[in-house]
Amino acid sequence: MAAEMALLKPISKIGYCGSTTITSARTILPQRISTIVRMSAATTTTPTTTKGTGGGKNKKGIKETLLAPRFYTTDFDEMEQLFNTEMNKNLNEAEFEALLQEFKTDYNQTHFVRNKEFKEAADEIQGPMRQIFVEFLERSCTAEFSGFLLYKELGRRLKKTNPVVAEIFSLMSRDEARHAGFLNKGLSDFNLALDLGFLTKARKYTFFKPKFIFYATYLSEKIGYWRYITIYRHLKTNPEYQVYPIFKYFENWCQDENRHGDFFSALMKAQPQFLNDWKAKLWSRFFCLSVYVTMYLNDTQRTSFYEGIGLNTKEFDMHVIIETNRTTARIFPAVLDVENPEFKRKLDRMADINSKIIAIGETDDIPLVKNLKRIPHIAALVSELLAAYLMKPIDSGSVDIADLDPQLVY
Amino acid sequence: MSLMKSLGASAVVNVPAAAVTTTQLHHGTHSFPFLSLPQHLPKLNTTTSISWKTTTPVRTAVAAINSSDTVEKETESKKEYHFVVANAKFMLDEEEHFQEQLFERVRLFKERNMEQDFWLVIEPKFLDKFPNITKRLKRPAVALVSTNGTWIKFMKLRLDRVLLDSFEAESMEEALASNPCNIEFEKPSNWVAPYPKYESGWWESLLPPIPQTQQA
Repeated sequence: MAAEMALLKPISKIGYCGSTTITSARTILPQRISTIVRMSAATTTTPTTTKGTGGGKNKKGIKETLLAPRFYTTDFDEMEQLFNTEMNKNLNEAEFEALLQEFKTDYNQTHFVRNKEFKEAADEIQGPMRQIFVEFLERSCTAEFSGFLLYKELGRRLKKTNPVVAEIFSLMSRDEARHAGFLNKGLSDFNLALDLGFLTKARKYTFFKPKFIFYATYLSEKIGYWRYITIYRHLKTNPEYQVYPIFKYFENWCQDENRHGDFFSALMKAQPQFLNDWKAKLWSRFFCLSVYVTMYLNDTQRTSFYEGIGLNTKEFDMHVIIETNRTTARIFPAVLDVENPEFKRKLDRMADINSKIIAIGETDDIPLVKNLKRIPHIAALVSELLAAYLMKPIDSGSVDIADLDPQLVY
Repeated sequence: MSLMKSLGASAVVNVPAAAVTTTQLHHGTHSFPFLSLPQHLPKLNTTTSISWKTTTPVRTAVAAINSSDTVEKETESKKEYHFVVANAKFMLDEEEHFQEQLFERVRLFKERNMEQDFWLVIEPKFLDKFPNITKRLKRPAVALVSTNGTWIKFMKLRLDRVLLDSFEAESMEEALASNPCNIEFEKPSNWVAPYPKYESGWWESLLPPIPQTQQA
């Protein structure tokens, strides 16, 4: 969920304006990777054999960047009210019961079991790819873990007002914890570990109103599903790129993400005010754009990871965006016209601008000069974002609530 | 916020220390009670599970439906079948996650030694009883049919562009009868995914078993 927001789940930092996105993106370059690793290493007792240079870093080394995986918090009192069965007659109890049963089934109860292939594969990964993999595991773990924290707390807080919804949140936090734990075990193959307890305290939490949590987490779960399944199916066809066994787990794993998304779909249907007016349409487009752009900018800065597993980064991203958008059109009242070639052209221009901004950050100029040099690029990026936002949208929505033609043929 | 922190901190201590597998983080919610019940029981029983403290509203609802539907009198012979239906292209060709989901469920049922209670039915005969559905349906149509109504409700949520209903039948053969029909889809003209499409015909293992009479 919020988990989706790492490399694997790239969303994060959605919700903010483009300029911030850009300026922060520079910190995602390789030097930051080692920073994070040193940070994690310094806060655990795990041997840090792969990083000999960690001397000057300490716990403060967490870099909060706009594109980094995010921790979320929300207005829990409002959540309690939204799901109070006495106050909210729209709650489709049967739908939530059906979801609860699906989560209780626990399809992946015995799925996340490691074997000795992991360590052996990790030892084979050397050179720059090793660092890239570590960063991939870290971002993914952080993202899954952030989902765990939010869902766990929601499960706790909603227990009294809506036990069914509360239990679903708890079961989703079970899934996220399982995913995060599995990724963290993956890090141990690289002789590292994320200190999640420390992370819990040291990370900044981004506050989103419940309605924004719904949009953001829905998208991040669904985009997470499409990312995992695309990587899985690609590697199944091209096993020569199967460099680390964790990808083999993605097929079952991502069904969890998909189900989590379904739950947010049901939550939004229970709150039609978040789906049925012009404001909802504007927010829907805004969140779609934020999520897609964040992923695109993130991934185009990490092409070596995707190329390392045999994918063309931009093609991979476009596929994921188009499929996520199609899925999202089943619930959001409006989505972006991402299949219009102009949308991809805009994304490419944004990626180019983003690279320039990052390049400025790497020069030896003093900060003031750097900032001055960035201004025109930031303006260009904002203008691209705005233009993409204003592209003619596509009306959409669930057939259960949208004013879809009653003549709709199935 | 402080609650969240302390919660997170205590909850994750386990992670780096996890020695065996990741299953330590499961928070003890391993119940899957409904699934362990015999699948042939009427709906009423399948939802009445041990640890479902919170299910009263639905349980009552299901009970009400069932009692109005003669379950009490005819438990022996009649069973309720639930379905979602849409055109074949949507069900079998366009929604690839649907295949993954069905295969995931097949895997689960095998792992837990449960008898399969869901099938794909191409051009189901039972549709004749639902003129309100058929007038909105492109043909050929494909239905996902199950005796587990709760799961079908979930599948409706997932697939969205499907119509849901239920009916009673004396036997599985009657419930799952279909009109023979050749299903073929055109290959997509521009397939841009970095992987091949799932093979056509993936659904064959999910079609109802052929009744003895027809085999002969």
